[in-house]
Amino acid sequence: MDCKQAVSLMHDLLDDDLDRECAKELKAHMLECPACRERFRQLEEADRLLYGFNHRLQPTSDDLTDRIMSVIPKPRQQSALLVWVKRHPAITVAAVFVLVMMTSALSMWNADKQLMVKGAHLDGVVIENNKVIVPSDKVVAGDLTIHNGMAEVYGQVQGDVTVIDGKVFQASTANISGSVHQIDEALGWIWYQITNLFGSGPSLP
Amino acid sequence: MDTLEKRLVRLARKGDTRAFAEIVELYKDKIFHLAYRMLSNRHEAEDVVQDTFLRVYRNLDRYDDNQKFSTWIYRIGTNLCIDRLRKRKPSYSLDAEMTEQEGIDGYAMIPSDDRTPESYLIVSETQRMVHEAINSLPAKYKTVMILRYLQDMSLQEISDVLDMPVTTIKTRVHRGREFLRKKLERKI
Ligand SMILES: [Zn+2]
Repeated sequence: MDCKQAVSLMHDLLDDDLDRECAKELKAHMLECPACRERFRQLEEADRLLYGFNHRLQPTSDDLTDRIMSVIPKPRQQSALLVWVKRHPAITVAAVFVLVMMTSALSMWNADKQLMVKGAHLDGVVIENNKVIVPSDKVVAGDLTIHNGMAEVYGQVQGDVTVIDGKVFQASTANISGSVHQIDEALGWIWYQITNLFGSGPSLP
Repeated sequence: MDTLEKRLVRLARKGDTRAFAEIVELYKDKIFHLAYRMLSNRHEAEDVVQDTFLRVYRNLDRYDDNQKFSTWIYRIGTNLCIDRLRKRKPSYSLDAEMTEQEGIDGYAMIPSDDRTPESYLIVSETQRMVHEAINSLPAKYKTVMILRYLQDMSLQEISDVLDMPVTTIKTRVHRGREFLRKKLERKI
């Protein structure tokens, strides 16, 4: 065995990775070679110093855990919601139903800012700009629904008058057999949609 | 093997922050010591600890249960340290760190009342040499030597953490050891 080989085996020995046979050969070489004995002593000492260095450890800052936890993103809202949904399937179905209805009602409310007049018999009605007029000598045979506009009633309406996002003016001569609804808010509009849906709405015959 | 960690990971994946805090408690010191050895700067080391856990959290879903959790977190921490070492200006001076009281190993171990320049000199004479010797190692040897000696890992574990063949790790340990032997010759 030459010295170069011996040094390689010394490292294996320090790594705890040397079989008995090789260890014996290394020992035999070192007994005859003072240079390798010295080399091994130095390597062992370096090893010892390195391991000793390990024991001088500094503590971490006391608030390190808190700091770490403060930068961790909070659990996703979605997952919390999902957990709840799994626990309350029936309520969830109902809630989703209301939500879908509300959003569709809201989008309808937002979608049309133009004047819209709805009714079965509108032949007597006069429309000026965003104003819907029922002249004093005319009769509307049924409901009258107006979006985004004014209603001025001088004549007769044989049904309900509903104005969404607008105003109703009733002259002293007006004769409305049904009820008058004036809806200005989004919420009112939703309520109107809901009652409509359940059959008690003003526009149903 | 590390069933506790795996259980905590499963809970943390479901959004259990307390389980994650437990993982932090289990590993923050280990990662801090690794980072402190690698970077010899307390402040940077704590930053690395913070970044490590942030990455762990973000990648919880990608953690493979067949792997040891410690191997996985050490890999993340080690890579962050290596990145920082690479980004350092080549002119980064060891002396600058040495004059900074905090950075000198051993000194911080003395109760603060006894911290005088003298006590620092007495305690850290040898430590300082070891510290300097480790710091002067090229990054690829430094990483391996720190994992081997200061984190007490086996060659196989180091090979898992660094995702390199054991034979490569072995060669690096041998060269690193020779390098340190020469550096510490005066002490040994
Ligand atoms: Zn020899």
